Amino acid sequence: MASRLSEWFDERTGWRGSWTAVFLRKIPKVNWAYTLGSATLFVLVLQFVTGILLTLYYVPEPQQAYASVDYVTNELPFGWLIRGIHHWGASAMVLLAVLHMVRVIAYGAYKYPREVTWITGVALLLLTFAFGFTGYLLPWDQRAYWATVVGTEIGAVPPLVGDFTKDLMLGGDEISGLTLSRFFGAHVWVLPSLTVLLVAIHLYLVVRNGISAPPKRNE
Amino acid sequence: MDQEERKQYLEDYEKAKKKGIPFFPDAVFKDAVVALVVFLVIVGLATFVGASLEEIADPSDESFTPRPEWYFLFLFQLFKFFPGSLEVVGVFVIPMVALVFLILLPWTDRSPRRHWSGRPVVTSITLFLLAGALILTVQALLEEPPPAAASAGGDQVAQLYSTNCSGCHGSAVAVASRDELLEAIRGETHEGMLAWNPELTADEIEALVGFVLSPTGHVLFESNCADCHDLDSLVASDAIELRRAIDEGPDYPPHENVGVPVWNEALNSVDQGKILAFLTAADGQRLWTQECASCHGQSVAVSGGRAALEDVIRTGGAHLDLDAFQAAPGPDDIETLALYVSDPPAAPDGAALFGRVCAACHATRVPHAADYEPARRLIAQGGAHEITRPWGDFLSDEQIDALVDHALRAIELPDLTEAARLYSQNCAACHGEQGEGGVNPTRSGDIIAPISTEEYLATRDDATLRAIISQGQPNFGMSPFADTFGGPLSSEQVDLLVAFMRAWEDDPPVDLPPEVPSGPVQAADPASVYLALCSQCHGDSGEGGLGVAFDDAWQQSRTDREIFDDINLGHAATSMIAWGEVLPSQQIQDLVSYLRTLTGEAGTSAALTYDATIRPIFDAYCSSCHGTLGGWTGTSYEEALTTGIAGPTIIPGDPDNSRLVQSLIGTHPDGVVMPPSVEMSAADIQKILDWVEAGAPER
Repeated sequence: MASRLSEWFDERTGWRGSWTAVFLRKIPKVNWAYTLGSATLFVLVLQFVTGILLTLYYVPEPQQAYASVDYVTNELPFGWLIRGIHHWGASAMVLLAVLHMVRVIAYGAYKYPREVTWITGVALLLLTFAFGFTGYLLPWDQRAYWATVVGTEIGAVPPLVGDFTKDLMLGGDEISGLTLSRFFGAHVWVLPSLTVLLVAIHLYLVVRNGISAPPKRNE
Repeated sequence: MDQEERKQYLEDYEKAKKKGIPFFPDAVFKDAVVALVVFLVIVGLATFVGASLEEIADPSDESFTPRPEWYFLFLFQLFKFFPGSLEVVGVFVIPMVALVFLILLPWTDRSPRRHWSGRPVVTSITLFLLAGALILTVQALLEEPPPAAASAGGDQVAQLYSTNCSGCHGSAVAVASRDELLEAIRGETHEGMLAWNPELTADEIEALVGFVLSPTGHVLFESNCADCHDLDSLVASDAIELRRAIDEGPDYPPHENVGVPVWNEALNSVDQGKILAFLTAADGQRLWTQECASCHGQSVAVSGGRAALEDVIRTGGAHLDLDAFQAAPGPDDIETLALYVSDPPAAPDGAALFGRVCAACHATRVPHAADYEPARRLIAQGGAHEITRPWGDFLSDEQIDALVDHALRAIELPDLTEAARLYSQNCAACHGEQGEGGVNPTRSGDIIAPISTEEYLATRDDATLRAIISQGQPNFGMSPFADTFGGPLSSEQVDLLVAFMRAWEDDPPVDLPPEVPSGPVQAADPASVYLALCSQCHGDSGEGGLGVAFDDAWQQSRTDREIFDDINLGHAATSMIAWGEVLPSQQIQDLVSYLRTLTGEAGTSAALTYDATIRPIFDAYCSSCHGTLGGWTGTSYEEALTTGIAGPTIIPGDPDNSRLVQSLIGTHPDGVVMPPSVEMSAADIQKILDWVEAGAPER
C-alpha cells in the first residue's frame, strides 16, 4: 500500500529523483566542523517558527508593543519560553554563522567552483546582523529605544547617504511609532523574504557543487 | 587558478566523493546531533537566563546607558577610537573595508592552495580581524558598568561622566582639542551623539570638559581640594583667584588657618597646570562674563582687528586713554552715574548723563556694577578702570583664543527690533512678553517657569539657548523652532532670539520667579494657598513686593468680582498668571475672602498669634507628615504646645531651648533639620522664632 502510494506520487511529482539528488548523494568524508552550516539553518528555522508565534501577539505600536511583549513574557503560558528561544536564537545564529564562515575561510571553501555560494553566504551574514538590529527595537523598552537612538545616529554618519539612511530608518526626525512600524516591517517581511530567497540559492548551490572536502596540508 | 588547475580540482573532488560517505544518513545524523545540542543550549538559556524586559521606553530619560546586543559591541567599541571628524573612519570606512575584503575574497585569493597553512596572507588577515573583534568585544564588556568608584565616592564630576558619557565612551575619551570637545558636548558638531546641553548646565559641561581633558587634574583635585571644595563653585570661579590661591598657599586669605600646604612645594608646576586645566574650560563666553563683562558689558568696540585685540588682552595695561572723571562731572553726577551702573531703575536721569559723559567710549553698552559703592569709587578716581590685566599671565593660549573669538562675535550687535518682533510672534504666547512664563498650554496644570530671570540666564549659555530654541523640549510640550528641525525659523533668526534673551540679562524683567508647584494645588485652606503662592510676590501679609500691596487704597478700589477676575485671568506680561488654570474656582473665591482680611501692613509681627500666622505655616510645611506620623503635631494650639517625642517641643518665651526652633534653624544636637525636603523661607522661620519668644500666644 505504502509503496503504491509513493509510486502514485512519484509519477506525478518526481520526488524520488529529488530525494536521491539531495539526500542519497555521496559527499567527501567530512569532520564535525561541517555541521556548522546546517546548525545555522536549524536555528534559522527555529527563529521563523518562534518569530511567527510571537507575531500572533505582538502589536507594532509604541504603547501596545511594550504591553504585548510584557504580556507574552509574563502572562502567556510558555510565552517566556518562545520569546527566550527567539532572543537567544538570535545570538546563536550570529555565533554559528560566523563560525561557519571561519570554517569556510580556513578550508578555502570559497574557491572555485563555490564563489557564488560564498557571496550569498556573506549577504546572509549581513541579513543576520540586520535581523538583530531591527529586532532589538521591537520590545520598545528602554534598552531597545536607546540602543536604536545610537544605532540610527551612527547610520547618519556616512557621507552622502547618511542623512537618507537615517530618514529611511526613522521615518522622521526622531524615533516614533513610524520608526517602530518600519523596523517591524523590515524584521517580519523584508528581511525574511530576502533570507528565504538567498538560503534557497545557497542550498541549491551546495547540493549542485557538492560540499567541499577538507583540504590536506599540501593542497 | 587556470584551466588546468580547475580541471584537476574537479577530478580530485570526484575521487574524494567516491571514497566518501552518503549524505543521508551519515552526515544528516551528525547534523541532527549538533542541532539537538544547539537546541538544548538555547532552551537552557531561555529557561535559566531568559529574555529580559526593561522599563518601557522613555525618550525623556537621557540618563539611560544605551547598550547594543553583544554582537554589535565590537563596532560600538571601535567608534570610540575615532572622535570628532575622524568618526566617519570608525563608523563607515573600517567596516566597509572589512566587508569588501570578505566579498572579494574569492578573487583576491586566486591561488589553488586550499589548506589554511598554504595561504598565510588570508589566514593572518582573518585571524587579525577575528582577534580584533574579540578584543574589542571583551574591552566593551569590561567597561561596563561605568566606573564604580565614581558612584561610591561621591565624586560629582565622575558621577556626571558615568551617567552621561561612559555608556558609549568607556572610562576615557580621546579628543582632538578642548574647543572641539566643548562643542561636541553642546551638541553642535558630533554627529553620532545626542545633543546634551539642554540637559546639562554650563557648569556641568565645563566640569565634564575638564574631566575628559585633564584626568590627572581631576585626580589631583580629588586628593587635594575636594575635601573642602564643591566642584561646581570652583569651576565657575575666576581664573585669577584660582591662580592666586595656588601661588599663595596658606597665605591666601580664605586658606588661612585651614592648614593647606604651600602648593608651590606640594605640587610641581605641571600638576598645578593640570588642576587649572581641569577647572577652567576654554569657553569664550564664560571667560568674558567672568573677566570682562563687569567693565565692558556685553561687548566692546574694537579697532584694529583680531591681532590687535588679542595683543591688548594678552598684554593688558592702559589700552584706552580715558579722562579722569574727577574733573569733568560734578559730585552729583558721579553719584548718579554710580547709581545708574549699579541699579539702573533707581537713576532715571542716568541714561542721559551716561550718554553725554561715557557713551563716547562705552557707546550704548552700559557697564554693570554689582554694588553702588565700588562703582562710585571707580568713577570718582577716574582712570583706574582703564588698566586691564595682562591676561597672557593667567590664561592659556586656548583660553585667550576662545576669549578673542567671543569678543569678536559679540561685536556684531544684532538688530533687536526684529528680534523683539520674532519673540512676540513665536515665544510670547507661552513664555509671556517679558519671559515671565505662564500656564503651559500643552500640559494641563503645568506652569512654565520664567525664562528672563537672572538665574535662568546665568546658568545657560548661548549654545544652550540656541539648542533649546532650535530643537524644542518635546517632553515639556515645546516644539522645535529651527527650520533644520522642522520649525519656522532660520538659524539667523534663532541667533536673534538668543541675543534678545541675552539682552534681558543686564536688567532681568523678572526678579523673583513665583515658585509654583507643578500639578494641581492640594491645600484647601486659603491661608496656606496664599502663603504658598501669592505671598511670593505680594508679601506674607499682603504688604506687596513684586506684586501690588493689598492696602486700604487697593481694598477700596477693587470689587470682589474684579479681584476674582484678577486672580482667575491674571495680567498679561507679568508674573501674575491666570491662576484659574491651576486653582479651582472655589479656591479662588476663598482667596478673595482671605485677601479682604489682609491690611497690607507688614508690621503684624507685633501681634503674631498661632491662629493668624503660625498655624498656616505649620499647615503648609509640617502637617503633611506630622499630622499623621505621630510625635509632634501642630494642627491645633493645644497639641502644638504639648505634644512631642521627648516632652513639649515648644517652650514659650525660650526659643533657643525649644526643640521646634532648633530643628528649624539646624542647631539641634541630633542634626535634624526641618522641614526635610523643602526650604522654609527665612521670614517664616523668623516669625516662628518671634512667636515663641513672645510667649507663643494663641490669638
